[in-house]
Amino acid sequence: MTGWVLIIDDEEMIRENLKAYLEDEGLRVAAFEAVTPALRWLLDGSHCRVCITDLRLPDMDGNTAIRTLHRLCPDMDFLIHTGSSNYSLPEDLRTMGLDNACVYQKPLSDMAPLAAAVRELVLRENRP
Amino acid sequence: MVLTVIASLLWSWMLRQRITHRNQEMQRELSERQQVESALRESEARFRDVTEAASDWIWEMNKNLQFTYLSERFYALTGIAPQYVLGRTRWEIATIESAADRQKWRQHRDTLAKHLPFRDFVYRTGIGNRHNADRYLKISGKPIHDDQGEFFGYRGTGTDITEQIKAEAALRESEVRLRQIIDLVPHMIFAKDRHGRFLLANQATAAAYGLTVQELVNHSQRTVHGIDAEAERMLADDREVIESGASKQIAEECFTDHTGHVRTLQTIKIPFNEPGLSETAVLGVSIDITEQKQAKEEVARMRLYLKNIIDSMPSVLIGVDPWGYITVINQPAEQACGISWETAQGRFFGELFPQLEGQFEQIRQAIHLGHPIKTPRMTLEDQGEMHYADVMVYPLIADSASGAVIRVDDVTARVRIESMMVQTEKMLSVGGLAAGMAHEINNPLGAILQGSQNILRRIDPAMPQNRATAEAIGIDLSRLNRYLEQRRVLHFLEGIREAGARAAKIVADMLSFSRRSESRFVPVNVEDLLETVLRLAASDYDLKKKYDFKHINIERDFDPRLGVVHCDKTEIEQVILNLLKNAAQAMAADNISSPTILLRTRYESRWALIEVVDNGPGIDEKTLKRIFEPFFTTKEVGAGTGLGLSVSYFIVTEQHRGRLSVTSQPGKGACFSIRLPLGRGALS
Repeated sequence: MTGWVLIIDDEEMIRENLKAYLEDEGLRVAAFEAVTPALRWLLDGSHCRVCITDLRLPDMDGNTAIRTLHRLCPDMDFLIHTGSSNYSLPEDLRTMGLDNACVYQKPLSDMAPLAAAVRELVLRENRP
Repeated sequence: MVLTVIASLLWSWMLRQRITHRNQEMQRELSERQQVESALRESEARFRDVTEAASDWIWEMNKNLQFTYLSERFYALTGIAPQYVLGRTRWEIATIESAADRQKWRQHRDTLAKHLPFRDFVYRTGIGNRHNADRYLKISGKPIHDDQGEFFGYRGTGTDITEQIKAEAALRESEVRLRQIIDLVPHMIFAKDRHGRFLLANQATAAAYGLTVQELVNHSQRTVHGIDAEAERMLADDREVIESGASKQIAEECFTDHTGHVRTLQTIKIPFNEPGLSETAVLGVSIDITEQKQAKEEVARMRLYLKNIIDSMPSVLIGVDPWGYITVINQPAEQACGISWETAQGRFFGELFPQLEGQFEQIRQAIHLGHPIKTPRMTLEDQGEMHYADVMVYPLIADSASGAVIRVDDVTARVRIESMMVQTEKMLSVGGLAAGMAHEINNPLGAILQGSQNILRRIDPAMPQNRATAEAIGIDLSRLNRYLEQRRVLHFLEGIREAGARAAKIVADMLSFSRRSESRFVPVNVEDLLETVLRLAASDYDLKKKYDFKHINIERDFDPRLGVVHCDKTEIEQVILNLLKNAAQAMAADNISSPTILLRTRYESRWALIEVVDNGPGIDEKTLKRIFEPFFTTKEVGAGTGLGLSVSYFIVTEQHRGRLSVTSQPGKGACFSIRLPLGRGALS
């Protein structure tokens, strides 16, 4: 299995459930309740291909978190898992390759589509 | 009046006829008497007896033309004493005034000078008679000669015709007066014989033919009437009157006058027996009713026009008198009570409109106070359904009669729309509230849903990880699973999952009731969008499990001109998916033998039209009216929240500024039409 899946969500049960499901799918998952510990983990040298992040986080807002993480790991892909209904992607995130398909609305009654998307990104060759 | 005049005219005419007749008789008598006179020359005694007994007098004058003898009858007949006359010439006693008189006398004296006989010389005399007025005398005479043939004088008879002259003058005068009167009458007065020849006509009749009375009388109508058909019809009426001997009233007939102007006449014809003529004629009076008829038609036209106007009003209008009896109702009112205006007239309004009976007090007050009285939002019940009506009573003040008009406007639709708007506003605030707390609700819902999914997955004996862990701690996973099943734990878990999903759906629906920016709008190919929805439908849990979506025939009728539409793709997909679900559900509930859904698109100049047509049981009118109301549902309690169509409506109309409408008839399926506005470049 190549690379890790990073989950950032301050809601423990969401975090735990996603982690459990993806692990059952055979993925390696690291889950954090905020951006700061995730950054620390990455700076410690971990390599991560996909990040699933919430938008309301205790230490910074989701868009800033994505920008920060992107600067640190430019080849990391992002999926957004949010509970807010009126989120629209800022233009700079779109230029990073995110689109509406990357936004997953909470609650997920079925985690399979998200898991499939994660798997596809993880298995994908390095982007040109 | 007219007939009286005609009658007098006829009377005078008949009188004149009689006088003429009498004259002729007198003439005859006179000539007979002249024979007698010559016989009398033989016997003086007999002569005297006869002269004294005669109705005329006998006169004699000498060769100097002076009266020498007047029989006794002279005084008796003229009232002139003989002593005024005897010894004088005739012209000495005559009243000579005019040039005509003088001319007449010149001729007469000429005749006398030549000793010629004369007949019927009429002259006037004013000398001493007891009547103190001129007498008209008519005389005839012949010269007499002595035995030697020498002119001896004149002898003759005379008669007093004063009364006759006076009667004739009076008659002439009255005839002129009557003539003036019938000529003054604007109606056509005429008499015709059975051949159509005018025996009599007044000025109006002659003028209608463009002739003078003299030019018209004695001519046949056939020769003066321009339109043959009209003339023949009138002559046929004449003959009918003449032959039946009964009068005839012609209510309306056409008459084309000499200018070509068509007039409408009302004619009375009566049989008329003219003295002196053996055949019956016809006497008629025609009244020109052209203008009356036009006025009548104009009134009728105006009445129809006003009726049309009041009929064109959507309001129910009921005109009543002060006692509440109907004077007029318009068409919507006719429809409302199921009775025509003619039948409704004169009936009590409360009898035909029982729900309005309570307005009687308002009618009374409106008339009394002279201003309209409103009753807004009156609730009426119609076939078990609640209706709202604004009722207004206007007082009517006409010339003499007063009354009122009751105006009833059904405002049910407006009340519904208003309540729907209130609902929409409510929904918007719900949407705003939901958006604010969505994050807070969705997280726990996520925990519930994801948690139950994970539990179900992690007790699944088919999953290798589960088996490995179970083995490590010495549990038989299949037996555990049997246990969970028997104790219905799996069932409860499924219940939790479903309840969570339903709650998530409600939150999502509530979130839909918020106006969103158009930033989520993307260009979408309509055909692609519909195909995506069909794929979604085929994999939809409900559709797959409950309504057997794959057994529904899907027909496509796509307009190739329709290309790209700007919309929120997901939302519109949800709207169409919702419509497909409803259709599938309705068809399944009704066990339609070959359920079919037609997806149709059309390019309309400003709109992209997407229609979902099913052949299900259709929708009744009551439901149709309320179908887009939030929380209105026909499904049994628990089967639906009643938000589906109202959410769709909200998405299409509010978020996309489009239109969502439905047409249906029970038993004939339903057709939902979505119209999305086309922007620039929407055409492919």
